[in-house]
Order: sequence, then structure tokens, then C-alpha cells
Amino acid sequence: METYYYSQFNHAVVHVALFDDVTNAAAIRSRIVQAARNLGVDGNTERKAVNFAFIDARLISSPLHLQTAIYQALLSEAQGQLRTKTVHSEILWALNPTNNITEAIRRYGVSDESTKLIVVRVDVSNTPELQRRMCDIIQGRMVPFQVLSQMTDWSIIKKHYKLDSESALKEVQGNLDRERSIIDNIVVSSVAMKSVMT
Amino acid sequence: MLSSSSSKPPTQQLLQSADLISQGAEAAIYKAYLRQFSTSGHGIGHGAALEALEPVLLKYRFRKHYRHLSLDTSLTRQRIAGEARALMRCMRSGVIVPGIRMVDVNEGVLGIEWIDGKSVRQILPGGAELEDISELGEVDEIHENGAADSIADYGVSRGRTVRMLIGSYSTSVDALMDMIGVEIAKMHLADIIHGDLTTSNMMLRKQTSDLVLIDFGLAYHSTLVEDKAVDLYVLERAFASTHPDSEPLFAGVLSAYEKRMCKHWLPIKKRLDDVRLRGRKRSMVG
Amino acid sequence: MPGRRRESPLKNPSRAYIALGLEGSANKLGAGVIKHAVDGSTEVLSNVRHTYITPPGEGFLPRDTAQHHREWALTVIKDAVAKANITMHDLDCICYTKGPGMGAPLQSVALVARTLSLLYEKPLVGVNHCVGHIEMGRQVTGAQNPVVLYVSGGNTQVIAYSRQCYRIFGETLDIAVGNCLDRFARVINLSNDPSPGYNIEQEAKKGKRLVPLPYTTKGMDVSLSGILTSIEAYTSDRRYRAQGSPCEESEDIITPADLCFSLQETVFSMLVEITERAMAHIGSREVLIVGGVGCNERLQEMMGIMAQERGGLVFATDERFCIDNGIMIAQAGLLSYRMGFQTPLTKSTCTQRFRTDEVHVAWRS
Repeated sequence: METYYYSQFNHAVVHVALFDDVTNAAAIRSRIVQAARNLGVDGNTERKAVNFAFIDARLISSPLHLQTAIYQALLSEAQGQLRTKTVHSEILWALNPTNNITEAIRRYGVSDESTKLIVVRVDVSNTPELQRRMCDIIQGRMVPFQVLSQMTDWSIIKKHYKLDSESALKEVQGNLDRERSIIDNIVVSSVAMKSVMT
Repeated sequence: MLSSSSSKPPTQQLLQSADLISQGAEAAIYKAYLRQFSTSGHGIGHGAALEALEPVLLKYRFRKHYRHLSLDTSLTRQRIAGEARALMRCMRSGVIVPGIRMVDVNEGVLGIEWIDGKSVRQILPGGAELEDISELGEVDEIHENGAADSIADYGVSRGRTVRMLIGSYSTSVDALMDMIGVEIAKMHLADIIHGDLTTSNMMLRKQTSDLVLIDFGLAYHSTLVEDKAVDLYVLERAFASTHPDSEPLFAGVLSAYEKRMCKHWLPIKKRLDDVRLRGRKRSMVG
Repeated sequence: MPGRRRESPLKNPSRAYIALGLEGSANKLGAGVIKHAVDGSTEVLSNVRHTYITPPGEGFLPRDTAQHHREWALTVIKDAVAKANITMHDLDCICYTKGPGMGAPLQSVALVARTLSLLYEKPLVGVNHCVGHIEMGRQVTGAQNPVVLYVSGGNTQVIAYSRQCYRIFGETLDIAVGNCLDRFARVINLSNDPSPGYNIEQEAKKGKRLVPLPYTTKGMDVSLSGILTSIEAYTSDRRYRAQGSPCEESEDIITPADLCFSLQETVFSMLVEITERAMAHIGSREVLIVGGVGCNERLQEMMGIMAQERGGLVFATDERFCIDNGIMIAQAGLLSYRMGFQTPLTKSTCTQRFRTDEVHVAWRS
């Protein structure tokens, strides 16, 4: 698990963890859906339990990609300009190149088939036992972020960002490292500038 | 949860904690860190050391009080958006430019990748303290790493071909001019006009020796041959006014540009000759 | 004289010099007499002007303007000489506007200058109109080495002095700012008396609503023709009320006053912006506004705020010197005359195009 500190956002603390070999993605997804539907006291407890952003790790090109989406979501929240219901769903929205919220959640959120997940928790202070609570929900293996690069599915990222015919990539054809660094730079920049993209 | 009515906006707080690098007519440039970071999983209170991740460059377009408030606000938005879009267009077209790291149009701040390196102006003779560079003897050994910003990091020369040794990579002035020509050509092929090409607005990145074009504050989209020719002319003037004996240098830039532009070169060359004759401006009726 | 920091090539004269200046490059005919005294001081002995005013909705045409200048030349010159309390024989030289400007009016005045030169055997000095504005502005305000914003009916330039030349750092890529304001004044039928620009300024004071207009600065240059097209289009907007007075925000209407206000705010912001860019570029803290539009108090105010934020100063003159006049031609002409410059009769032509940076500014270091 990694932790980021933001003094400019009232000392917000953001915890992120990467999981591999997740076996209960479908269950997680249905818990999120249930929590959103259930309005009573039960709903509250359940919402607390799943109060994270669950992100499909295959679509994240680098830790910076994730950090950038978190940053823009924090900024929107602080300015009272969230486009979605919570700062967690805002991270998913920030990751998606279009303005369609449903699409963002479908693409970047947890799906029934997900096996590689990133979990994000935005908090005002350090939450005790957070790591345990993450592990309570996710049946899988917490791995260090260095592993992320092996999980990334570059072809889907290229598709979502319409990068297949870009001259930047044609130029470095055959040089995989260079190509990935260019894609990462474009994707990170796109997330950062989403508010002024159009 | 995080919004607070009493305290300053986050981006203002960020600027407050940042280092001011330079102050221009329309913007102030800062070096800042967007977040601090620990891998321990324990918080600040547990004594774990916090590291800052990569630095970013913040370009803060501050309020201009002579301008009507609503005009000022909308202009600042437009310009930040314009600069970000020009950078994105460059990136997608394979022009090497700084990546974008954060945008806050409400506060007028654009955060971009911090480029560790030196400007071409500083590297070339005449641009900075390297004026007597040709008097130094040639040094063959490769310097260990570029920890200190010394002359040795960037160049030691014999005559025309200054050798620049950065880490394990070395390049010559000719190769540098070549890179400049290629980057500008790629940018023009993407129909981006930089608007302020000078040797100060190009950097040689330390680790990779990439040539990075920077400061797209005046950039715009145009397909016109005229605009591209003027872009080149502005750079030619900048070379002439900053670097002694700039003619062969700029010729090197143009020849790489020509090669890269292929069939698009001829009309631009013709127009560049026109622009040189008339100066940048057309004659006006009083 | 200003520019004392480095040694000036211009020495104090061994005797007093007096020059007559004649200006008629546009619709103002001016004659003025200036005196440079032994102690280096400068005195305006007279400054007379007559303006050709057209009916509302009409601009001035070269032929009619030239005719106006011919009709008024003798009256204006006689008046200037009489007010200066001198005779034509006391003059050292006769200065006239060589350009830039409208051809026919320039020629009428040059013809008068040539005639006087032959009659009284006085040398001629052809003067660049823009340099006249700059030198008079420096003289009146005492600004040492300012960035100059020259804004008039025919010119929009940001100028700075460098190595005996007034270098143009930025300028309009199409029409001049005065031209833009005047043409819009005609569209909404404002009076040309005393000047369309003055009436726009008064109207703008009543404006409240800022309508969006293109904002077109390109580096240190500006483009104004798109703004004119755009502001004109608002007069056929369904919200436009030609007779409407600006009222409460509750009503969604656009009045002529709103348009004047919007036009001024937008265009002047652009001008202040490019001026500031030039100041930052050359590291100057002073700015001098000259030319007819320079009388505009809102422009002066905006420039003042900008200069203040930079820790600098703005210098501006009032309508006597801002608006085209003869005295500025006399001032610039006498400066170059004292450096040994004369215009021989055979070369005493006019030119509609005459760039500010073509003049050799011999009198400054």
C-alpha cells in the first residue's frame, strides 16, 4: 500500500493499493451496487465498507496516471465542482477520456471478470486498519506498485485514447519502451487537462 | 469532505509552498510538488520519512487588474486551455514537449512536467556563462553523472563542434541544431505555431538528451505557410541577437527542418525569404 | 532635453532656435512654433489647430480633407506666427510632415511648406509624423526612455528606442485602433464633433454590460478588424436597442453604450497587454502614450494600473499634444535640424508609407 499526503487539500491522505489474482470481483461489484441502492442504516454501514474507488489496473499506465486522476478529483471536490456523487467515483470519471459517467464506471471500475484491481481511499486523516479493511473486501494478493507495468493492457488504453494512428507512435514503431512512455505521457496529460479538453 | 470555506483555495496554498522561479509579464513560474509520499503505510505521526515525488512546473497566470474582471477570467481560462491543447496536440504528433500534470482554470494555474536540463541558450556560446567555451581544451572522459550544473555537464569544446557530455550520452552542436530543426518541423507538420521560438524556449533534457520545446503560452493552430515562415524567422532573429556567428547554426536548423518537411518545405522557404526582406511587419499606411 | 543619463549627441545651442511646424496628415491641420533656448529648455510659443469635421456617419475623404487644409492653411499659420509673437524671418527652419498619412492632405501642406521655404529662404525639414508624436510626448512629460504606445486613427504601434532608432516592437496587423473606434462611431451614428473617439469614450461611461468580443493579441501584435466586424454584428442582434439606455441587469438588452464600453474594455486591454509585454522584454518601467486615442482617460487609467503593478509610471499628454498638431512636427524637426539635417527642396516630397523605424534618431545617444 502507498500513501499520498496533500497539505493543500486540508492535509488529505490518500491510500492506494494494488491487488493481483483477485477472485471475488463479481461480489465486490454487487456489494457496491447494493450499497448504492440500500438507503437504510444497513446501507450506511455497507457504503462505509465499500467506500473506496476500485479501478481496473489493466487500464492504468503508471502510478503517475493514477496520481493525476486522484489529484484532479481532489481539486474538483475542493472547489465544489464534482461531476459525480463522490470523490471516489470522480477518480473513475477523471480517468475516462469522455464525459460519460456510466461509461467511465463500466470501463475503469471493477467488472465481474476483473482480477487486477487498484483500490483508492481518500481520507482526511490516516484511517486505522485500513489495509485490513481493504483485504476484508478483496480476495486477492496485495502487490507492490512496481508490478503495475506488467499488468497494463496497452492495446485497450490505445483504443480508449484513439492512439493507434497517431504519428507520435508511428515514429517509434518497434521500440516498445519508447512507445509506452509516449502513451503514458499522453494519457497522464489527458487526465490532467480533462477539464479544458474541449 | 475536503471542501472548506474558510481556508485558501488548494492551488493558492500550493503556490504558497512552491518556489518562485521567475516572474514574467503575464505569468509567474514556480517549482512545486503536488503530493508527498510514503510507502510504509504509516502516517506522518509514525515517524516515517515523507518524500516528494517528481517536481512540477506551475505556470500561474495571475489576475490583471487593468482588465475587466469577467474579461480577465475568460481570457485566463482560454489561454490555459489553449496552452494545454497545443501541448497535447504536440505530444500526439510526436513533438517532444513537457507533459501536463494538473490544470486549475479557476485559479489560473497550469502544472506541467519539470524538465531537468538546460536551455539551448545557456548551452550555446554567447547565451550564458559559456562564452569562452572555445578556449577550453577537449575532454574525452565521460562525466559520471550530471549532479552539478557545471559546464562539464553540458559541453566542452574544440572549435565549432562543442561536445556536450551528459551522463553517458554525448552530442555535438551540429546534432543539437539537427534536433531543433526536426522538432520544429514535427510541430509545424501538426499545424502548431509556437509563436515565441527562441533558444530560451528549448531545453536539452539531462537524462536523455532529448530536445524539449517549452513555453506554448503564445502557441496557436494554423495551416498557413505565412505563420510557419514567421515562426522560423522569429527564431532566426533570436539566434542572431543572442549567439555570435549564428548563421551556420541556424543553417543547420533549417537543413534538418527542410529534410523533415519534405514537400511542404518549398512554399515555406519562399515565404521565409519574403519575410526576411520585409521584416516581420508589413508596411502600413499612416 | 531628456536622455541625460548618457551623454547626448545634442549639445545646448549657442543661440536660441525657432522652428515652425506644419501638420496635415489626416483631418487636422496644425501649425505650431517652438523655441529651443540656450539653456537647453524648450518653449511652445504657439500651437494652433483646425479640424475638418464631417457629419455623423461619414468619414473624411482625402480630396475633401486636402481642400479643407488648403482653405485654412494661411489662417492657421498666420495665427500661429502671431500668437508666437514672432515674424517669419525669425524662423530657423520650416518643418512639415513627410508622412505617413493620407496622400492628398499631406501634399497640400507640403506645398505650403515649400512655398514658405522659398518665400522666406528658410530650410525645410521633413518629419516623420510618428516620431513627432514621440518627441513631443517625451518633451511634455519628461519621460526618459519610455516604451511608447502610439495610438491614433492611422497607427497602432508599440515602440522602444534602441541605438538611434525607434524600433517597432508590436503593431496592428490590420486596422488602427482609432480607425476601429471611428468606424464604429459611424455605425451607431455618433457625432464627429469634437471627435468620434471622444464621443465613444463618453458613451462608454454609461455602458454596463460587457459583451464577448474576439481578443486577438499575437505576441506583441494585435489584430482589430475582427473585433470591428463582431461589434458591428451586435447592432443587428435582436437584443440591441439603438435608443435603449443602459438599465437594470434584469432586462436582457444591449445598448449602444454597452457596445462602446465593451469595445473600449476589450481593445484597450489588448493594447495594455502588448505594451506590458514590450516593457517586460526590454526591461523598461516607463510607458508613454501618444496619438489621438492617447487622450482617452480609460486607456490612461488602465495603463496606469498596469504600470503601477510593475512599479513603473505612465506618461500621457492632453488633447493639445495627443491629437495631431503642428508643434510636434516643429519639435522633432528642430531636433534633427540642430543635428545638421535638412530636406533639400528637390527631395521635399511626401510619402503615405513611412515607418517609424526608418528615421535616424541622430539626436539621442
